[in-house]
Amino acid sequence: MTANGIPIGDVLLASAALFVIGLAGALLRRNAISIFLSIELMMNAANLTVLGYAAALHSLEGQIVVFFVIAIAAAEAAVGLAIFVALFRHTETIDVNQINLLKW
Amino acid sequence: MTPRLVFDAAAGLAILFACVMVVHRHPVKSVLALVVSFFALAVTYVLLAAPLIAAVQVIVYAGAILVLFLFVLMLLNVPEEARQSSDRPIHQALSAGGIVAFAAALLAVLRGYGATQAAPSVAPSPGDLAPVAKLLFSDHLLSFEALSILLLAALVGAFVLARREGSP
Amino acid sequence: MSAADVGILALRVLAPVLVILIVLPMLQWVERRGAGLIQDRPGPNRVGPFGLLQPLADVVKFFMKEDLVPSHADRFLYVLAPGLAAFAALTTFAVIPYGATLTVRGRAIPLVGADVSIGVLYLFALTSLSVYGIVLAGWSSNNKFSLIGGIRSSAQIISYELPMTTAAAGVVLATGSFRLTDVVAMQSGSWLSLPLRGWTVVPQFLGFIVFFVSAFAETNRLPFDLPEAEAELVAGYHTEYSAMKFAMFYMAEYINVVVASALMVTLYFGGWTFPGFTPTNGAGVLLSVVIFALKTAFFVWVFMWVRWTLPRFRYDQLLRLGWKVLLPLALLNLFWVAALVLWKVL
Repeated sequence: MTANGIPIGDVLLASAALFVIGLAGALLRRNAISIFLSIELMMNAANLTVLGYAAALHSLEGQIVVFFVIAIAAAEAAVGLAIFVALFRHTETIDVNQINLLKW
Repeated sequence: MTPRLVFDAAAGLAILFACVMVVHRHPVKSVLALVVSFFALAVTYVLLAAPLIAAVQVIVYAGAILVLFLFVLMLLNVPEEARQSSDRPIHQALSAGGIVAFAAALLAVLRGYGATQAAPSVAPSPGDLAPVAKLLFSDHLLSFEALSILLLAALVGAFVLARREGSP
Repeated sequence: MSAADVGILALRVLAPVLVILIVLPMLQWVERRGAGLIQDRPGPNRVGPFGLLQPLADVVKFFMKEDLVPSHADRFLYVLAPGLAAFAALTTFAVIPYGATLTVRGRAIPLVGADVSIGVLYLFALTSLSVYGIVLAGWSSNNKFSLIGGIRSSAQIISYELPMTTAAAGVVLATGSFRLTDVVAMQSGSWLSLPLRGWTVVPQFLGFIVFFVSAFAETNRLPFDLPEAEAELVAGYHTEYSAMKFAMFYMAEYINVVVASALMVTLYFGGWTFPGFTPTNGAGVLLSVVIFALKTAFFVWVFMWVRWTLPRFRYDQLLRLGWKVLLPLALLNLFWVAALVLWKVL
């Protein structure tokens, strides 16, 4: 299967690599912002997969889906950073291992 | 300079800078590496006949969301992450093991995926904006309007969450 | 693609860039003499006749100054920032059509760098990227004034992107396409069809006003240049820069002015077209390029004229103007254009 002249295997491999890198960042970093960035990277990997298949199956719905995902990611980033700012003001640290107020 | 070559180069660049982002200890440099990565991804989107999404990616993701990240990092003066050993090594070991296992599983599933299906003989196209726009405003109009309400809610929520107590 | 194709493509893209870079010192001379003219003083007149060699003296000065990096500054970002600013400014010119289509030996060469289907969106993508140069310059200088100047400047640019894109959306709505060559082609009517099929500024005058004011804010020019106000913030985000790096910021500002003027001309004043003029041969194409250059030069002069005439806005007044006045006006313009298109007038 080719997506607009590019073998779908290439697209999937790139997307999988990006997803795994994002996953590694989300699980292994201690900095809250870095975890957030890794999650954004994972979302982009998913976007790449959807666009790859949209091109391969000649469907435009994929582009609509990615459009909405990007817009929702913007909303999520705004709210997430607001939470981060509020938290940082309170605890003066960004190490997620230190932010354990709800632990019993 | 086939499309495949350009795609591989752009995707490779994206993966490289994603690695830099994950590894670098300073959050500002991380964000900048991610900007380059997103730019490279926008190039891949153009090659996949989605120029509108590529432009939206650069304008919204690289040009607005990551600028917002940068602002927060700079104004709060978030420090560089100290290189210290974690107080929960079992967490790191399990995470690393889980990631490796997941990557292996993903690779096993994707190996040869779609390679057996015959390629339809359609010439690669640069992609068009008008059909996407028509779809967006006809079939998906409700989602579009709901998205605007979602963005309004996010705006109000971010404002409420980040203000100091007692201030308007 | 043959070698000839690649060569022609390179020429198409590089020609306006080279012209801008060559014209830059002359623009600086025009600015300083023009400032003198408006302020009733001579302006530079010592170096060469009428001070014409003053830009050359400035270039020599920039080369000779000590090129330093502050001790606690982030070295990599400090050096990268001016380059980013200049890069974002220059690449914007890749999609602006600067002349009619030249036909040489059966090969049609459109005088535009890259006629992409997302022309207008590409411009706004690059505007978003130019924010990075400024905010990085402010942060990497390790200086409170630079940081405040950088944050203020980027907040201003981001705020004014909205009315600018909404005004341009009006033009796109009237054209039916994002391609800049289509936008120019739509405006090339004859004298009789001037009010509606001619220059977009006539049916969308409100949109033009919004775009015009936003362009001043986007290029950090007076009356919106508080982020680099000498009286307040030393020099804003380029306080700690000297010699060639400062020259690069300076260059980037002028290139931004030229690009903003070219954009206004393309979107609202017909680009290289003129009512009743259809270029047929090589001389016609050359005339179209000259027309484009003259229109752009006029707007560059207007930028400079306004700079030395109006006082500076305070920062909160600036942001209030952008969000509470220009954005609603731009939306009003969009409704107006949508109504015109709906009633098949446009």
